[in-house]
Amino acid sequence: MADDLIQMARAVQDAALATEGVASLGTGRWAEAATYGAGEKVTGVVVSPNEVRVHIVANYPPSEPLQALAERVRQRATSKAGGRPAMVVVEDIEVVQDENL
Amino acid sequence: MKIFNRIIVILLLAGIVALGVTVVFYIFDVSDYHLEDLSRALGLNGLYDAVNSFVQRAESRSFDVLDIVVLALVALLGLVLLILEFKPPSPRRVRMQQGTYVTRKAVEDEVNAAVEGSHEVLQSNVKVKAQRRPGARVNVTANVRPGENARSVQSDVRDRIQRRLDQVGIPVGNLNVQVRESDPRQTKTRVK
Repeated sequence: MADDLIQMARAVQDAALATEGVASLGTGRWAEAATYGAGEKVTGVVVSPNEVRVHIVANYPPSEPLQALAERVRQRATSKAGGRPAMVVVEDIEVVQDENL
Repeated sequence: MKIFNRIIVILLLAGIVALGVTVVFYIFDVSDYHLEDLSRALGLNGLYDAVNSFVQRAESRSFDVLDIVVLALVALLGLVLLILEFKPPSPRRVRMQQGTYVTRKAVEDEVNAAVEGSHEVLQSNVKVKAQRRPGARVNVTANVRPGENARSVQSDVRDRIQRRLDQVGIPVGNLNVQVRESDPRQTKTRVK
């Protein structure tokens, strides 16, 4: 059971990170946002029996409005969430470092 | 549970536990404690008399004004606590759409960046509240030098915040901007 949750969390994590405009996954503010398994954890994705919650850090300047970005991540996460509804929390906005500097 | 109600319940439960332990001592006559002495030991005799007299006055319907005021206040307090208990907690995150949220901290950072971009603002205080409906409730207090045109600064700050949040795509439900004149020696920034 725990292995299934970890696998689901990892799939959602990969899907979220592959979305353009997502800099990284957040870790939660008051409590750690993570899914825990036997000896491992997936940070930034919380898989519970009722829902899947993804914490993202968006790029700044944004290529699209945050609402649209969050909605795209939500759709991707939903497709990996095994029927659970997905919820996306934009935890922070991070300035993209210019590689030429 | 609301914090005030929680404190009351904790105190009540602690009192019940203490009373329970005391009663056990008295019931089993531990260390020469006897049940018939319990009311005297707890100082309840005065309370019994007061309750007795209160009930007698209630039966004879001879309440004085003070009794009625106290009873009304107790009922009002109970009603307020009950309403507070039933009121759903305010959301922690700002809702954008169905299933998508942004943290108040992220909104606060964006608003701060917009406000600090104004040359007239020496210091700002930003408070962001999440609402049940989509959009954040943003309250901004901007400190400016004495003599600045408060109305134009207020309008400028409001435009900057609105532009920045529109650009990022954070919905705003309510935006309040207040401008306060402050001594530059007491603000975070003296000169911009």
